[in-house]
Amino acid sequence: MTSALVHEPVPPQKAVKLEVVDMGKSFGGIAALASVSLRVEAGSVHALLGENGAGKSTLVKCIMGFYTPDTGAVMVNDKEVETDNPRQAHMLGIGMVYQHFTLVPSMTVLENLVMGRSHVPAFIDWKKERAELSAFVDSMPFSVPLDLPVASLAAGEKQKAEILKQLYLNARFLILDEPTSVLTPQEADEILGLVRDMAHAGEITVLIITHKFREVLAYADEVSVLRRGRYVGGGKVADLTVDAMAKMMIGERDIAPAATRTERAPGAICLQVRGLTADDENGDAAVNGVDLDVAAGEIVGIAGVSGNGQSELVEVLAGQRPPTGGAITVQGDAYHATRAEMLRHKLALLPEEPLHNACVGRMSVAENMAFRNFDQPPFSKGVWLSKSRMRAEARGLIERYRVKTSSPDAPIATLSGGNVQRAVLARELGGQVDVLVAANPVFGLDFAAVADIHGQIVEARNRGAAVLLVSEDLDELLELSDRILVMFDGKIVYETPIEHADRTNIGRSMAGH
Amino acid sequence: MDETSIGWWGVPLAIFAGAIRISTPFLFVSLGEMVTEKSGRINLGLEGTLIMGAMSGYGIAYFTGSPWLGVLVAGLVGIAFGILHAGICSLPKVNDIAVGIALMLFGTGLAFYLGKPLVQPQAPNLPSINFGWWSDLPQVQSALKINALFIIGVVLAPVFLWALGNTRWGLILRIVGDSSDAARAMGYSPLAVRLAATAFGGFMAGVGGSFLSLYYPGSWNEGLSSGQGITAVALVIFARWNPMNCLWASLLFGGASALGPALQSVGVTQGYYLFNAAPYVLTLLILVLSSSSHRHIAGAPGELSVTR
Amino acid sequence: MNSDLVLRFGAGTKIFAVSLFAIVLSLIVFGIFVAVSGVNPLDVYDLMYMGAFGSWFSWQNTLLRSAPLLLTALCTALPAQMGMVIIGGEGAFVLGGLAAAAAGLLLSDMNAPALIVQGVMVIAGMCAGGAIIASAGALRHWRGVNETISSLLLSYICIAVLNQMVEGPMRDPTSLNKPSTRALPDWAMLGNIPGMDIHVGLIFGLLFCIVAYVLMFHTTFGFAARMVGGNVRAARMAGLPVGRLVLVVTFLGGAAAGLGGMIEVAAVQGRANATIASGYGLTGILVAFLARQNPLIVIPVAILLGGIDASGGLLQRRLDMPDASVVVLQGIIFVILLASESVQGRLNIMGWLPRIKPRTSAVAAANGAD
Repeated sequence: MTSALVHEPVPPQKAVKLEVVDMGKSFGGIAALASVSLRVEAGSVHALLGENGAGKSTLVKCIMGFYTPDTGAVMVNDKEVETDNPRQAHMLGIGMVYQHFTLVPSMTVLENLVMGRSHVPAFIDWKKERAELSAFVDSMPFSVPLDLPVASLAAGEKQKAEILKQLYLNARFLILDEPTSVLTPQEADEILGLVRDMAHAGEITVLIITHKFREVLAYADEVSVLRRGRYVGGGKVADLTVDAMAKMMIGERDIAPAATRTERAPGAICLQVRGLTADDENGDAAVNGVDLDVAAGEIVGIAGVSGNGQSELVEVLAGQRPPTGGAITVQGDAYHATRAEMLRHKLALLPEEPLHNACVGRMSVAENMAFRNFDQPPFSKGVWLSKSRMRAEARGLIERYRVKTSSPDAPIATLSGGNVQRAVLARELGGQVDVLVAANPVFGLDFAAVADIHGQIVEARNRGAAVLLVSEDLDELLELSDRILVMFDGKIVYETPIEHADRTNIGRSMAGH
Repeated sequence: MDETSIGWWGVPLAIFAGAIRISTPFLFVSLGEMVTEKSGRINLGLEGTLIMGAMSGYGIAYFTGSPWLGVLVAGLVGIAFGILHAGICSLPKVNDIAVGIALMLFGTGLAFYLGKPLVQPQAPNLPSINFGWWSDLPQVQSALKINALFIIGVVLAPVFLWALGNTRWGLILRIVGDSSDAARAMGYSPLAVRLAATAFGGFMAGVGGSFLSLYYPGSWNEGLSSGQGITAVALVIFARWNPMNCLWASLLFGGASALGPALQSVGVTQGYYLFNAAPYVLTLLILVLSSSSHRHIAGAPGELSVTR
Repeated sequence: MNSDLVLRFGAGTKIFAVSLFAIVLSLIVFGIFVAVSGVNPLDVYDLMYMGAFGSWFSWQNTLLRSAPLLLTALCTALPAQMGMVIIGGEGAFVLGGLAAAAAGLLLSDMNAPALIVQGVMVIAGMCAGGAIIASAGALRHWRGVNETISSLLLSYICIAVLNQMVEGPMRDPTSLNKPSTRALPDWAMLGNIPGMDIHVGLIFGLLFCIVAYVLMFHTTFGFAARMVGGNVRAARMAGLPVGRLVLVVTFLGGAAAGLGGMIEVAAVQGRANATIASGYGLTGILVAFLARQNPLIVIPVAILLGGIDASGGLLQRRLDMPDASVVVLQGIIFVILLASESVQGRLNIMGWLPRIKPRTSAVAAANGAD
């Protein structure tokens, strides 16, 4: 960072104004951004709103120098600047806190912060660095333990450490990419409140990327809405309503009405978990004695901040992780996640990150769709595969579930995220389903896919399936569940039927209170 | 030399001396591979690099009369192989384990091809320092003749440990190996760092190889190395990527490998081959003990493919 | 339908073109290499062709050297379909040969019928080889031990066991210069294919490759194995018995290599000694990678590499080139192949495959979705 000469007066307001003029960026002929212009006033909190795929990420990556835009310019304090790479952006005081953490897991916060600087001495004097950094952290409104390895921090602390890193690097313009997706409602409020206060005090300018209206209304001064790569509207938050913003985000498409749960009394208990324990990848206890019941015809949602054992719980149910204790019963029978049991009990799984967990990328769509029944007639005769049958069945499923693919023989890895999930959905829900376990099923998908998939889940429930829905998105759970459980530290700590569900109480339980 | 005059004492003494001698190539190769793996890449081709180092070091030493020049050239050849490995691995979608196997075959074949004329002539050996001047027994004196490379290696191990935590380069290495995303976000290029780390690993492996031909066993032939390269890779995992553990583990290996010849020297000749297989069995055993199917190996660089 | 066909066969064509490109480029690089060593590359190419495919005699030489490669390549190719990189074929080969020799000597001493002796030798060889590679698979599945390293270590251990047994308990006292077991009686050895000077081991090899291909690509077992190889998490989610699959496939791969060892003992050498560890296992690795781990493609690739191997003798005699020259060529091929594989993704194969346009389903089009 070029240091100002000592003799120059330090400007009273450190926050900068940033403007993007007529920015455009295409990838392989498809315009991710087209003629986007936007102005963020110094010392303000500006929200960038849009659904997944609208171009928000592309825009900020252009500002940060990860991409070089095809057209347009960036202006800082009314002067045009070049951001050809992240280093240059840092030198201009532009910093970004990403959605996935960019801290090095095995190193301490102290080491991470020191190494993040653009000038690191060849030999590092840790005593001096620690003293300097402690002083810096003390001057900040929040703090993070300096000597713990990042891998051992909770998600909220990691987020704070990321923000601290940017402030330490003298960021004057801070971009936050979906900052609250891994936080409890209380933590989200705390962090957004902190950055807003710092902005209003003139120390930084903040640009928040989000798709949550609540956050926009509560913390942002102004908002800009992107849709399909274009700027479609915005203004002062005080002047806009949620409906107006939603309309701008979604446009003239009709949103399919939210899938409605039909009135029905829950049936028999289909899935029962008692005292389940399991370890995580490092051998530490992740699931610490979970008890839950899911009845036929109900959706039980499990809320919780990522890292409290939900992923491990789903992995045990999916057979991807061995339990260390406890028992699982499905429709009265002991369950060990074998193929025969899954078939007998018509158990379907929609794991998170489908390409990573439920598909073989290099196999074709047809083959992937046959994972559940390739060894059953009519797709196989004895030991012989019948690829033509698989292909024919896949064509039907592709049609019914609107999977966009060039052909059933295309490798499934070539499909977009939403279509991969649709394909997995087609495979899992294509037949009759008695038990469905879903984890973060719509993460990162566009509105159309989200509506589709939510609709399918609710339909399965209406037809009598017992659905366990694990999600880090509280809004999703509030919309779809009949009952909500909260998981914290590997245990179920709170339960409420949907009629009495209260965001504050749930949020408190998510943080362990 | 009347070896039976100290009877069975000859065995631990021989093991001690053998441990130091035999551990030297392991020490160099494992320290080098540790650096490479800390950057997130595994180089299984070190066997080929080692043998190329042995051959080229021997050849240069023979033609110039200077064993140290041979060591240097062996190191340079190692750098070349390291760059080749890193270069191919930097192409998209290339599997670093496959590249390692390819270079193992290529390096071995090339070394035997070029080294054909070197089998007969004798090149000058590396010097050793005599730590046993105080003893009258020839066995003790010979056991305490410690070669110069070993001493260099023993100094390097703690230096590396310090460097990993206190120098900019050490920290950059760890960052790149733990998380490519974080490295890129900080402005470091994982590919460039891995190139440097693999080249360095190759240098160390080349030097380690030159030890085989220029000190112990001290000549060039096709049976010179059998698996030291790959054993060193396993050793690094066992050592949990810690340089001091590499030192101890190398000594352990050297001792195990010295068991066969030590017993032979007191007349125990049964089971010769099985004793010589001891290091492989030991390596396998410690791999089994160090690994686990459900958890990450503690301390593993996050980007290393062999532990994911 | 058109784009479907293109997708199904276009991928295979691309792979073939890239492999061909790799071999041609390797030959050029090898030519430069020998030119620098003072030999005329054209002479080398000429002799290589002559030595490999020039006459019926050289063809037989080539096929003889390909026979073991067909089997040792499967030791790498089959586990590779499951996502494991196994390079212990040499050890399985050697152990299989040793076990076959032991069984064969035992039974022929008891004057069992020839067919029984041979049958038991086959079983012994396959079981020994299978057990070794299955251990590497088991270590990987149940203890997370990297199978590349463990299979190579096991390989060295097997060679040590071979040497120990051949010079110790199983040694033929009359074999002084080169320690070896007693020879199998002629009637117990495998015969030749009628009308040729090639032993029936070649047929075994060809059959094994074909059966392996059919197993992997046309049966439910193979589909399950390939699911595990493609993404073990997805395979577990589908409830597949991963451990069992790993054991069976690694056993099969090892059994193939073990059978190769048995054939080397029972059809070529007639006895077990250090010569049976002559590098077929290592070359098999290269064959598997060149064949993209596909058991059917292993057949032509093994013949090609057998030919290169066969020409080595001629190169040595006529041009005084060291034995290791063919190893150098193999290494060059391997290295260039790996480098060119990554190029495969970028080439649109010179534009002679029609561009495939994404085709949306009719329903989606009707709904006006983007």
